[in-house]
Formats: sequence, structure tokens, C-alpha cells
Amino acid sequence: MKTNLPFLWIVGGSAGSFTPVRHFVQQVPHRESLAIVLCLHRMRSPRLGMVEALGKTQGWRVMEPDDKTSIEGGAMYIAPADYHILVEGGGYFSLSVDEPVHFSRPSIDVLLESVVRAHWPRAGAALLSGANRDGAFGLYLMHQAGYFTAVQEPTDAEIPTMPQAALTLFEPQVRFKASQLVQVCLQALSL
Amino acid sequence: MLPEALPEISDTDLEQFFQILLTQYGYDFRGYAPASLKRRLGTVLRRYGLADMQTLNQRLLSQSDYFERFINEITVSTTELFRDPSSWAALRAQAMPPLLSLSQLRIWHAGCSTGEEVLSMAILLHEMGLYSRSQIFATDIDGYSLEQAQKATYPLRYKALYEQNLQAALPGVSLSSYAKEVGGQLVFSPSLLSNVRFLRHNLVMDAAFGQFELVLCRNVLIYFTPSLQDRVVTKLVDSLVTGGVLMIGTKESLFWCTAAKRLLPINDGERLYRKRQ
Repeated sequence: MKTNLPFLWIVGGSAGSFTPVRHFVQQVPHRESLAIVLCLHRMRSPRLGMVEALGKTQGWRVMEPDDKTSIEGGAMYIAPADYHILVEGGGYFSLSVDEPVHFSRPSIDVLLESVVRAHWPRAGAALLSGANRDGAFGLYLMHQAGYFTAVQEPTDAEIPTMPQAALTLFEPQVRFKASQLVQVCLQALSL
Repeated sequence: MLPEALPEISDTDLEQFFQILLTQYGYDFRGYAPASLKRRLGTVLRRYGLADMQTLNQRLLSQSDYFERFINEITVSTTELFRDPSSWAALRAQAMPPLLSLSQLRIWHAGCSTGEEVLSMAILLHEMGLYSRSQIFATDIDGYSLEQAQKATYPLRYKALYEQNLQAALPGVSLSSYAKEVGGQLVFSPSLLSNVRFLRHNLVMDAAFGQFELVLCRNVLIYFTPSLQDRVVTKLVDSLVTGGVLMIGTKESLFWCTAAKRLLPINDGERLYRKRQ
């Protein structure tokens, strides 16, 4: 395991999550100790344009990582379309074109499971609105492994299926409203 | 301690697994990227109802007929006709022109999986009038995938996607010119494979086997660690003639590979490179 790895904050979302994620991306204050990964279900094409669509950040370096891109603090990573994204204990991302999970590639479950498998030293994840169950099991694995987990209140979610699926498996540290996502991220970082 | 639902794969289990594959079957998985390898192993354990990695290792030790099925499970990745259409369009428009005057075009498709991109290449060559002077060597580590590739038959549910990709890559070309529906499946014309040789080849263990004007290796390197990627890319570049073209996956990167300095970008965004003089 590489030392000095940043705190990894993962936001997973699907249908109905774009607006809260966009708000989060634009509002979250820059921290060099924090790396953010946005794992959002998205159309296979266009391949590019997501970085621009999310808008201006508070000084973050924003990118869609290539395979084996180093995971750095102060950077915000957007899972590329039509690839699974996984983290490696060596401190970098691996991509894969394994079968979709819950019809999804990138799959939030795949990413979250990789965090647990890599024994990433400090991490947390939040699950937002979505119309399928992807992410629920992965978040449960993170919870079981002692990581910080947060789930959007289903009543606050545009489409509650995804957060509801997580809540049927376990009770996270935090249930939040979309408008509180920045606050929840900073709370996780401060623990 | 990992959660109960996630089969634990310890370093010791993994080391034993590597040793069995290497000494009993001659396959070296030590350079595979750990995250996706462990995920695949976890999937195999769940799919076959195996309690843990020791059980899998025991089965691999004692049942050599299980190995072929295992390799299929652990290596197969999904692909499609003209995946990343803009890359294929760039291959045609920017990379192929200097090759047009050659009397023979030798192509190595390394890690061809179930063959969809071999067919993409064959269609591209047909459309450019190059197929008759082309020879494609399509290789993969997995025997089941190669069998599938030779059938050139795919589930009909992919037809709309393939048509869409083909239109984006080669506007005006219809899928019906090359494939038809037979018994609920999409069957490609056998003529597309007349100049294709399918061979079993292990990119990690086996030597390069020729000189080629074009080498395609797409979404294979992502499964390797950086150090193994470096070795494999060297093998791929060694296999290119001077001026030959290398095409890799659009999210793969060569920037730490020592062989990269022997390449010039044709279109870096589409991951097309030409071997330097």
C-alpha cells in the first residue's frame, strides 16, 4: 500500500442525481487532502463533455481518468462512460470493460467493492437518487468494512429506488438531503 | 476482516493461485491488475458456489478440465462491433492512407476476445478495397472466446447497437451488407473471415510471432499492472514494421511505457500511433 494516499470521497448516483451532483461539484471547497470520485450512470455517448456539463468548481482539478491514472488529493475524477472504474492499493485507478453490473458501466458497486478490496486507508461514500439497485451492495460492503457511508433520504430523492435499496441492507452513518451533500462530505473528511 | 458477503482473497491465497497457474498450466497472472482480478475471482467463487480461494485453488490443482472454463471466466471481457466509432473513423481517415499502396497488409489483432472488432476491421478493409490483400491474425488467451469469434454469430439484441456504431464509424455502410438474421441470431458473412487466422496466444507468456503493418490491442492493457503493460507494449511495438500503426483502447495510456518513445501519435485522443523511422 502506497503511503500518503488522500481521503477518497465517492459520490454514486443515477437518474435524478445530476442536479445535486452539479451543485456539489460547484460548491465543495477545494482540499488537497481529499480526492473525489463521481461515479454516475450516464449515456455511452457522447464520450466527452461531462466535465464541462458539471460546471466551474472551487479550484479542483477535474478529469475523466485514463487507466492507471494516479489518484491525487485536490482532484475530482469523473468515471468515464462505458468503463468500470476501480481503485488499486498502489494509489491509482484501473479501468475495465467487464460485463455491466445492474445494466450499468460504470457500476457504483464495482467501484465501492474495489475500495474495500484495496483496503484504502480513509474513504467515504454517498449514494444518491437512482432507478436501480447499483451501489446499494457496494455501500453495504463499505459500511461493513468500517468506512463512512451516507445515503440520500428516499423522500428527498427524485427517484428513490437506489437509496431505498441501500437502506434495506443497513443503516448508514448519515441520511441526508441533496442540499447537504457538501456538508456530509466535509463531515466525513473531518472524522 | 472483509464483510461476509465479499469472499476474502488474501495475499497468501493469491500467491498460491499464481503458483498453481504458473507451474501446472504455464499461465502467469502475477502482472494482472489486482482490483479487477480479485473482483473476477470473487465472481467465480460466487458463480460456482465455492466457499473460498482455497477451494478454488484445490479445484485448479486437482481438475485440469476445469481450467479451460476458468480461463474463460477470468479473462473474457465484453466488446462490440465498432466500439468507439470515432476511433475507427480516425483509423480509416488518418492512419490507413500511408498503408494503401502496400501490396500486402498484415494485421495482428491481439486479444480479439469474441471477435467483434476483428469483424469491424474486416468490414473496414472491405470498404477500403483492401481486404483481398490483407491477412489478419486474431489471437486471444481464451479458447472459448476464439471458438465464439470463429462462428461470427451474435445475439440479435445487439443489432441496433452494431448498426448505430457502424453508421457512426463508416457513414452510409449498412449492417445488412455484412450480416443477416438467422434463427434469431445475427450471423456475419463468412467471407469476412476468409483472410483471418484465429490463434491461441498468451500476450504475457508467448513471444511475438511476426511483423505487421497494423497491430490492434484494445482494452487488454487495462487488465495489466503498469510494469506488465510496459513489457506487453514493447512486444507490440517490436511486432510493428517501421511506419506501422498501433491502435489501443481510448482510455488506455502509454505515457510510462518505455516503448512509447518509438511511437509518434497519429491521433492521441483516439489512441492511434505510428512506429518511428
